[in-house]
Amino acid sequence: MATGNWRLIDVDALDPENAFPAELLTPQFAPVPLADIQALANHCRQSLQRGEQEEALLTALKNVPYGGDDQGKELHLATILEILSSIKQAEMTPILARIYSSPNGTELLDALMKYLYKGMARHNASNNGTPGVSVHATGASSVSGFGGATREFGVAPSRGDGGGMSVLLSWHEKVVDVAGTGAIVRVMTDRRTV
Amino acid sequence: MSVPEVNLLFHEPIADHSFSADRNLLAVARDSRVQLYARSGNGFALQDELAGHDKTVTSVDIAPQSGKIVTCSQDRNALVWEPSPTGWKPTLVLLRINRAATHVRWSPDETKFAVGSGARVIAVCYFEEENDWWVSKHLKKPLRTTVLSLNWHPNSVLLAAGSADAHARVFSAFIKGVDQRPEPTVWGERLPFNTVCGEFSNSSGGWVHSVAFSPSGNALAYAAHDSSITVVYPSAPEQPPLSVVSITTQMLPFTSLIWAREDQIIAAGHDCHPVVFQGDMNGGWTQAYSIDDPAQRQDSGEGAESSALNMFRQMDLKGRTTSVDDTNLKTIHQNTISTIRPYQGEPGNVSKFSSTGVDGRIVIFPVA
Repeated sequence: MATGNWRLIDVDALDPENAFPAELLTPQFAPVPLADIQALANHCRQSLQRGEQEEALLTALKNVPYGGDDQGKELHLATILEILSSIKQAEMTPILARIYSSPNGTELLDALMKYLYKGMARHNASNNGTPGVSVHATGASSVSGFGGATREFGVAPSRGDGGGMSVLLSWHEKVVDVAGTGAIVRVMTDRRTV
Repeated sequence: MSVPEVNLLFHEPIADHSFSADRNLLAVARDSRVQLYARSGNGFALQDELAGHDKTVTSVDIAPQSGKIVTCSQDRNALVWEPSPTGWKPTLVLLRINRAATHVRWSPDETKFAVGSGARVIAVCYFEEENDWWVSKHLKKPLRTTVLSLNWHPNSVLLAAGSADAHARVFSAFIKGVDQRPEPTVWGERLPFNTVCGEFSNSSGGWVHSVAFSPSGNALAYAAHDSSITVVYPSAPEQPPLSVVSITTQMLPFTSLIWAREDQIIAAGHDCHPVVFQGDMNGGWTQAYSIDDPAQRQDSGEGAESSALNMFRQMDLKGRTTSVDDTNLKTIHQNTISTIRPYQGEPGNVSKFSSTGVDGRIVIFPVA
């Protein structure tokens, strides 16, 4: 009885009634073929070339491939990052305000927030550059907090880590200004991952 | 608009609070004790202490008519406290759970109470005359996670529960021999024990921190950890609901919500001040206004009176004269609000509500 570290025993594993299927929490989506995401990416790129950045952003945010596989999701992330880096600093807030006031606007900005965090996460972790956005693998950028201090570090990091992260951070600051801290909380709770 | 009444009870979190029907007795859950405060003038005076639990008390509820107090705790027990000439007398309730009890509420007719728990069950407890003790029946299916909040329908049979799997559910807690057969409602007609009358979640998910039936019982509202509140209007038994309205906010998540009127919901939580939502089934719901809004708070007031003293103190402490008050929140509550409850007014026309939170304050807010 007294032997072994009994605090580490997973008592729930011994309970036959404790089965907790993951699909209870994670909503199911129909799979999205890679070709569709690629077509969407091309569509957005054409909009960008015509100078319709807002249109491109809206299209990308309205068609989030929740059911896509990892490759498809990466591709859509690249599309969104490309659009984000093509929009000028001064235009961010007006565009976000327009999206927010449109029907279903909070949902769209929540999706954008998910991509910002995903962008920051992979910027931090990975060494392979994302196609379409200038990513320098510094591995030393200072984004680690998720919640509290977001308002403060919405400025470009002082270290010279290229454009990718500073774009994401300035977008993050602007989205929090418009959609509030609720958008950050929803990135954490939402089981529909991007 | 009257002013909120603020009382700092102690510098410890208050997990839950409950007032007696005449509002002269206040029970607060403080650590592993429950403290009873009596109204004295504008404040509260400590009157008695209920010590019977040996872990953190998570919830406390005073029955309005009988005055009995029920408490539950992380020690997996619930106690019913009855007044006697020699003080409050506890009776242990057989909950039969192997995890912490999280939430307890008396049914409106006070013959039963429900205890939510981390053991993936809700214990519905009632008094058995023959054995002279409180026994429980378990609501089990389809709960798979910790139950965080409970709320009784006005008919004392239906019970709403919010849990950590992002679902709010409506159960029948009908106990044969204790309850009269209820009138049919929009939630169901025949209601044997553990009938699931509704199961709801919202798209962005999150733990359901608080659930509440509307004053009529014909709608259900819940607050989840995705900073949203959702209002559900059921249509008929076994039918999809007429309308499900979800309002995602810009704020931090809400931990507690009540209905002030059939068209008004008050919610409060991690943003430390209450917010009022208004709407109905057809027009939808909107975030109407904030009570104790930090954005409208002026910094002057008390600070201005002792400005000279303040100036030198700031110079001494921080080496600068500008007194930027960065240690106090601009709201009355200085930390998360964990519970709000109606304080004044009939159900369906609440004019004041009380709130307690992690900062040890009890505040009585006017709704308008």
